[in-house]
Amino acid sequence: MIVRRFVAPVVTAMLIAGACGGDPPPPPPPPAGPDMDSLRAYQDSVRQAEEARRRAEAEAAAQRAAEAERQRAIAAARATLEEMVFFDYDQSEIRNDAAEVLRRKVAILRASPQVRIRIEGHCDERGSTEYNLALGNRRAEAIRQFLTGFGISESRFEIVSFGEGRPLAQGANEQAWSRNRRGQFVITGGANQINPAE
Amino acid sequence: MRTMSAFNRVRSYLAATVAVTALVAVSPRATAAQDQIPGVSLGLVYTGAYVPALAVQPFTGRFGGAGLAPDVETIVSTDLRNSDRFQMLDQLPAGFVRDQVDYALWDRLGAVWLVTGTFEGAGEGYVLLIELHDVVYGEVRERGRFRVPEPSDPDFRMAVHRASDEIVRWATGDPGMAASRIAFTMRGVRADSLTYNEVYVIDSDGENLRRVTDFQDALESPTWSPDGSKLAYTSWKSGYPRIYEMNLNTGQETMLPPVRGAGDYITPAYSPDGRTLAFSVLGSGERGGIFTYNVAEDCCLAYLSGGPHYDISPTYSPDGRWMAFNTLRYGDAVPQVMVMPAQGGVAETLSPYQYGAGGYFTAPDWSPYGDLVAFHGAIERGRYHILVANLEDGGRVLRQLTTEGNNEDPSWAPDGRHLVFVGERSWGYGLLVVDATTGNVRPLLAGRRVGVPDWSPAVAPR
Repeated sequence: MIVRRFVAPVVTAMLIAGACGGDPPPPPPPPAGPDMDSLRAYQDSVRQAEEARRRAEAEAAAQRAAEAERQRAIAAARATLEEMVFFDYDQSEIRNDAAEVLRRKVAILRASPQVRIRIEGHCDERGSTEYNLALGNRRAEAIRQFLTGFGISESRFEIVSFGEGRPLAQGANEQAWSRNRRGQFVITGGANQINPAE
Repeated sequence: MRTMSAFNRVRSYLAATVAVTALVAVSPRATAAQDQIPGVSLGLVYTGAYVPALAVQPFTGRFGGAGLAPDVETIVSTDLRNSDRFQMLDQLPAGFVRDQVDYALWDRLGAVWLVTGTFEGAGEGYVLLIELHDVVYGEVRERGRFRVPEPSDPDFRMAVHRASDEIVRWATGDPGMAASRIAFTMRGVRADSLTYNEVYVIDSDGENLRRVTDFQDALESPTWSPDGSKLAYTSWKSGYPRIYEMNLNTGQETMLPPVRGAGDYITPAYSPDGRTLAFSVLGSGERGGIFTYNVAEDCCLAYLSGGPHYDISPTYSPDGRWMAFNTLRYGDAVPQVMVMPAQGGVAETLSPYQYGAGGYFTAPDWSPYGDLVAFHGAIERGRYHILVANLEDGGRVLRQLTTEGNNEDPSWAPDGRHLVFVGERSWGYGLLVVDATTGNVRPLLAGRRVGVPDWSPAVAPR
């Protein structure tokens, strides 16, 4: 009720105004120049900032991805350096599968000149305890000779035999024995300077 | 045989070796099967020694010794049974004790020897009176008084064992081995699931098992000093195998010898006079092999064997002039036992190696009487047995002392007749003792993961 009473005179006034003149009222003047410019500049800067932020984020994400990739590669390289090799019963000869593993180590060792490795020779429980110390040493030595044969400096390796004293697998069967006749690799220096091979 | 000097024995053995080598060179059996040892006769023959019956009359006690008399009697009876020199008539009812020994009764029971004993309180500790009776002649052959401390004293059983050894000496003229101990390794598993070894010691009768080390790390080859007061061994506790000597009286440990450069320092052995420690250094690109170090004067490292030969496990002849050792000179998988002068020099192969025929012989131990070297070898593929080579035969005749399971790392008792070794049987691993004369085998410690036993010299009173 109150609203209707208020609206009626306003409409009446508008009708009167329309009836008494052909000139439309002039359009409101456009906002002053400097205001529009600053608005545009403001909008541009917001957009640019947004883009910059997006670019930076994308870059950071890419960097993160690259770093993650690098870390993955380093971890893989480390795993390759630490990958064990296995031997035949009572033998210190490098088997073909072991040679392949060792060749992958060579590439990483070349790319990571700071890295130093301790090569451990291990045996299965069969045979004499003390003879197995010698056999473990021969296995570690065979691995070292294989690696130095590819030009890796001998001073980067030390060898130690554990004989049959540190089995990986318990049990008196070929499955356990074949796991225990092994060369094991411990990174003793330059562990934070491992470079994946090219 | 035992009066012959070790030098003559070894010299005659060297001559024999040359003869064997010559025979082998023309042998048409150069491609013999793996399970045979060409040119060598392998025997399970035991000398049919006379084994007299020995009775132990229940021991009596006086002055406060009566309560312990049965225990002491049991220790003595067990020792005499373990000596493998008698048919035992023991654990007899107390009714056999009379004021006068009834020789006619013992004779009817077939006894040749009779042991009587009285255990007396003696203020501090006790005295064990022992008489050895010759039943056939009906007289006391020998008698002795042995001081024995309180049972709470760690030397209590050892003191009784000394009386047992004296009985053996009275009856046979030969030394016994009851008053002795065996050092060995036993495996444990750490919280991080790594396995380790500790040194343990056990008395010759399987009593008094106790742990000596507590490193929870890899450890091998415990070996007694000739006076029985120290043990040397190889421990990996520094990360690398190094030789340490532990004084058993003080528990003090020293690293021996001062390490010169890299390499694995393993398989220590004392010379019979205890002044020299022989050991092996494994490779590491430098020279490896057997070294000696003068532990008496703490000086003078000497290098005995040349080249990257992997010579390990030295063992001295009892006169200290010769050394047997294990070598990989012939390559992987064919370890052989060789003998050389203790100061180094030309080495001759003792084990029956023949080119192309393989053969696996390791872990030599020279008998305390000089004429025998025990080791173990693969007889069939993958089966290891305890073997004994007589130096006078130059290794042509090997006596095989075991027939079942796998058997490794023999070590002579101070009586030069028994050997302790690691046996692997269907029931597991254990320390076993074999009598080289009769072939009798008895378990010392069964069902444990044990290794590299070393039998002590006779344990002297403290």
